[in-house]
Amino acid sequence: MAPKNKEAKRNTVEESFYASPLYDFLYPFRPAGSQWLTEYVIVLFALIIGCAVGHGSYSGQFSPPMFGDFEAQRHWMEITQHLAPSQWYWFDLEYWGLDYPPLTAYHSYVLGKIGSFIKPEWFELNESRGIETPDLKTFMRFTVLLSEGLFYIPAVVYFTKWLGKHRQKSPIGQFISAAAILFQPSLMLIDHGHFQYNCVMLGLTVYAINSLFEEFYAVAAICFVLSICFKQMALYYAPIFFAYLLSKSLFSPRFNFPRLFAIAVATVLSFAAMYAPLYIFGGGLANVIQSVHRIFPFARGIFEDKVANFWCVTNVFFKYKNIFPQEQLQLYSLIATMLGFLPAVIVIFLYPKKHIICYALATCSMSFYLFSFQVHEKTILVPLLPITLLYTSSNWDVLSMANWINNVGLFTLYPLLKKDGLTLQYFVCFTLSNWLLGNFSFVTPKFLPKFLTPGPSVSSVDINYRRRSFLPSNVIWKIIIVSSYTAMGVLHVVDFVMGPPVSYPDLWVLLNCALGFGCFTLFWLWSYYMLFTMPRKTLQQL
Amino acid sequence: MKASRLGTDDGEKKVGKKEAEKPVSVMNRRFSLWNFWIASLALKLLLMPDYFSTDFDVHRNWLAITNELPLKEWYYEKTSQWTLDYPPFFAYFEWLLSQFVPKIVKEDGALDIVEIGQFGWPTVVFQRLTVIFSEVLLFVVLQVFVNTSSATEKTRSFVVASSIVLSPGFLMIDHIHFQYNGFLFAPLIASIVAAKHKKYMWCATFYAIALCFKHIFLYLAPCYFVFLLRAYVLNFKNFEFKSYKDLIFIVQWKHLFKMASVVLGIFFICFGPFLYDLPQVMTRLFPFSRGLTHAYWAPNFWAIYSFLDKILTFVMLKLPYVHAFATKFISPPLIPESLDDLKERLVQNNSGTKGLVQDVFFAILPQISPKLTFILTMFYQALAVIPLLFDPSFKRFIGSLTLCGLSSYLFGWHVHEKAIMLVIVPFSFLVVCDRRLLSSFMLVAAAGYVSLFPLLYEHQDFLLKCLYTIAWCIIYFYAFRKTSQLTTSVERRVFFLDRLSTIYIFSLLPLVIGVQFFEVMNWKYLSFQKFEFLGLMAYSIYCSLGIISAWIGLSWMYNFDEPLWMTNE
Repeated sequence: MAPKNKEAKRNTVEESFYASPLYDFLYPFRPAGSQWLTEYVIVLFALIIGCAVGHGSYSGQFSPPMFGDFEAQRHWMEITQHLAPSQWYWFDLEYWGLDYPPLTAYHSYVLGKIGSFIKPEWFELNESRGIETPDLKTFMRFTVLLSEGLFYIPAVVYFTKWLGKHRQKSPIGQFISAAAILFQPSLMLIDHGHFQYNCVMLGLTVYAINSLFEEFYAVAAICFVLSICFKQMALYYAPIFFAYLLSKSLFSPRFNFPRLFAIAVATVLSFAAMYAPLYIFGGGLANVIQSVHRIFPFARGIFEDKVANFWCVTNVFFKYKNIFPQEQLQLYSLIATMLGFLPAVIVIFLYPKKHIICYALATCSMSFYLFSFQVHEKTILVPLLPITLLYTSSNWDVLSMANWINNVGLFTLYPLLKKDGLTLQYFVCFTLSNWLLGNFSFVTPKFLPKFLTPGPSVSSVDINYRRRSFLPSNVIWKIIIVSSYTAMGVLHVVDFVMGPPVSYPDLWVLLNCALGFGCFTLFWLWSYYMLFTMPRKTLQQL
Repeated sequence: MKASRLGTDDGEKKVGKKEAEKPVSVMNRRFSLWNFWIASLALKLLLMPDYFSTDFDVHRNWLAITNELPLKEWYYEKTSQWTLDYPPFFAYFEWLLSQFVPKIVKEDGALDIVEIGQFGWPTVVFQRLTVIFSEVLLFVVLQVFVNTSSATEKTRSFVVASSIVLSPGFLMIDHIHFQYNGFLFAPLIASIVAAKHKKYMWCATFYAIALCFKHIFLYLAPCYFVFLLRAYVLNFKNFEFKSYKDLIFIVQWKHLFKMASVVLGIFFICFGPFLYDLPQVMTRLFPFSRGLTHAYWAPNFWAIYSFLDKILTFVMLKLPYVHAFATKFISPPLIPESLDDLKERLVQNNSGTKGLVQDVFFAILPQISPKLTFILTMFYQALAVIPLLFDPSFKRFIGSLTLCGLSSYLFGWHVHEKAIMLVIVPFSFLVVCDRRLLSSFMLVAAAGYVSLFPLLYEHQDFLLKCLYTIAWCIIYFYAFRKTSQLTTSVERRVFFLDRLSTIYIFSLLPLVIGVQFFEVMNWKYLSFQKFEFLGLMAYSIYCSLGIISAWIGLSWMYNFDEPLWMTNE
């Protein structure tokens, strides 16, 4: 018995999701001859679930006159291919004017060209507004899958492979982590359900991280600039990349001018390349400035919809908009954000180590999410990316926290997804991802006959192995996490059973945000704690 | 989600090795389908808003008929064109389901007997859930199959079981297109499992039940009849022929009466309440008035036959001397008398190529009567069944079952491409017995599942059906290769044919993508529109080539390869 238990213990250290259903499914591919299959299998199933989620509705389906994000993306495909770049950031701004950086526009341009080849009516200038045919939906869903397959999936697989190799993880363990990251429900629901192309921005960021791992600093700079040029939300990561690259070229291990020069040139050139078409074909500087104006809408309020960040939640008690003028609020939020991410920047500047990157990115982007100006609920995807990348860790506490905050993040998206008519997809993806990672292993019913007992079916998990759910070892965290899950459950039930009181129509949403904000803040503090302990650790202890 | 993966450590060790050499942990494995059920459940739930075919309204109508009308009228009701044409057990099943219809679904119009169903999301959810939950029976039966198989076979049985429950066929037909095949195949598989354990009474019982649920299983009847007759009823053990009187003692009369009474009892429970209306029930069950090929071109022998007819017509019209040449050898009743006669025939029946064919008409080749298809089917089934008379082993039985399914699929009257499940399911049980059967199986599975693609003709399902089928093929072709038994006579494999079948399977992909491209773009190019039927035809011709060659391959192994059928139990 003793050696068997020992072996089981060794395995737990080795594998991220030992004895989870995901582990169980992928375990049979362990023989060396079949590992290459695993990659195809996880990618195929990630795409299949994407397809299946895509059968649901999208934001703004059948809701004229403005529709939603789906129509916005389609509209951009329409205008980018029919208008000169000089018009892109000026054309009929009231109706979904383009408000993302140029790479989004180019991306829309390419996809629009493909779409027009298939069916020009989909993207006819002005004529096609609000067009909603099943074929168009199919095409648009396909473009998201294509973008995910090109940008996000290879980046994530590369990331897990690199880390796996350098942490002596088994190949199957690497793929299990990759699958866990690819099945992140929030990104799936927002991209394939709600309809956006976040996978491109996030994928480019992961490419940038991969390049940092491989120590191709200029390439990292290019990838990251492209990421910013796809969606400005990638700026949430910017301080970390900046500090890391700067530190690497200034004094790690010593001042390295060629590196600094290469990074600077790469950054400047890639920005220039991104904006050049706007400048050259688009009537000069005015157009570039207009695009920047569109991208950073400071004229709008400190928050728009309900979002689980500091400003929106505390707004219940202090009506900021009545107390302070807009400019002052902007300043305050800027200061708060800066204070929030400054320690992370300092740590990464002093210790530019590979295993710290994910924590630094998580804390920094979470500070932006919590304290910055004009945050959308979907922006939670930005902090969730580095957190989800921590699924490559084999530390149970880290996995538990990452899983917890992923669930909270998805929960804060619930009001949005409900509005989109994606409740079914929300619950299925929520359950599926948690179940796959083994979070529901605690429900293993004892009354079932032994052969039916849920759990490992094909993997050789020791029969005495006690399966756990994702709860950290610390009791306080256990209590916090369990009670937050309970609160989420209660909120769902309440939301399902009765409508909000008439005098507070947004009460359920606000409670959702408050809960989300509380959890995010706690997580943010935890990730800072981890960040401070990280410099003393090694990659093996990620 | 990750619906799939199977237990195949056996890749590392030769299957023949002794049990004791296995790592201890392998013995601990629980071969549970639970995880597969949960994972596939998630996918099925996500697919609820997806496209469904008219079969959805068909089943909704049956739900309404069985719920609203007295039993006597079930098979007479014809308000909707979707009349009840499944045997009574299925009608009882629908009645049972209709008892659970919640109020909100009832108000949605789920139980209205109308010409065309008017219903909304609640009905869809309810009906989809009935499919999902009735399919649990399939999981249960296969779990029993895995549990009852011996320790050495567990991994193999598990691969078979999971390959069936995750089959793209069931996903496409049941959970998107809408039918209850998963549930209906459960009793059939139960009878196969019973046959494996030599529990012949159970085998007969389950088969009779399956038959009373879905009469398409009648295709397999000859095989069951002969198998049970030989294995259970007849006893040649101490047989010595002295006079004809001795023949009486071959028959184990007690067994015969026991089995007959059980089978007839089941049929009586099924058809008893309709005893006086039996002719009406029968006309509903066997509508011989329908055409040779079904709505689409099922990829069977007749698809190639009618393709040949098209080609010949084309050639003869373009090159008149071909006709002149042909008439020298073939006399007029078998071939049009003159080209004018041919043209006249074409004008009279110009609907043959539209894909939607009710009565197929052949311009040049002889017409095919139901009787001929019946004779051909019977002939090939007889060939498949005769060896069973000499050797009623389980392997033989499964082989003959697969061949019966194949011959009825290839030569039957009015075959639907969904019937390919009748072949793939028994074949899965057989293929693990010998590696050499694998290439046949791969052909049937790949071509069979691809031939189902036109069922989901909407573009939105294209990616899903392709990706899922590819994933299934990757996983299970690998798993079957790893787990199927290697016999000593491997060198007798014809490697060239293996390569050919691999090439065939890989070129299914360009076919599918090409046809899809063609369909997406055909609004643009008028020339494409003219040949709208070409896509479906390409599917059926190409798939039928694969299925026919698999049939030939399997038949060869079945009839002429001894080591394969030696029982090593």
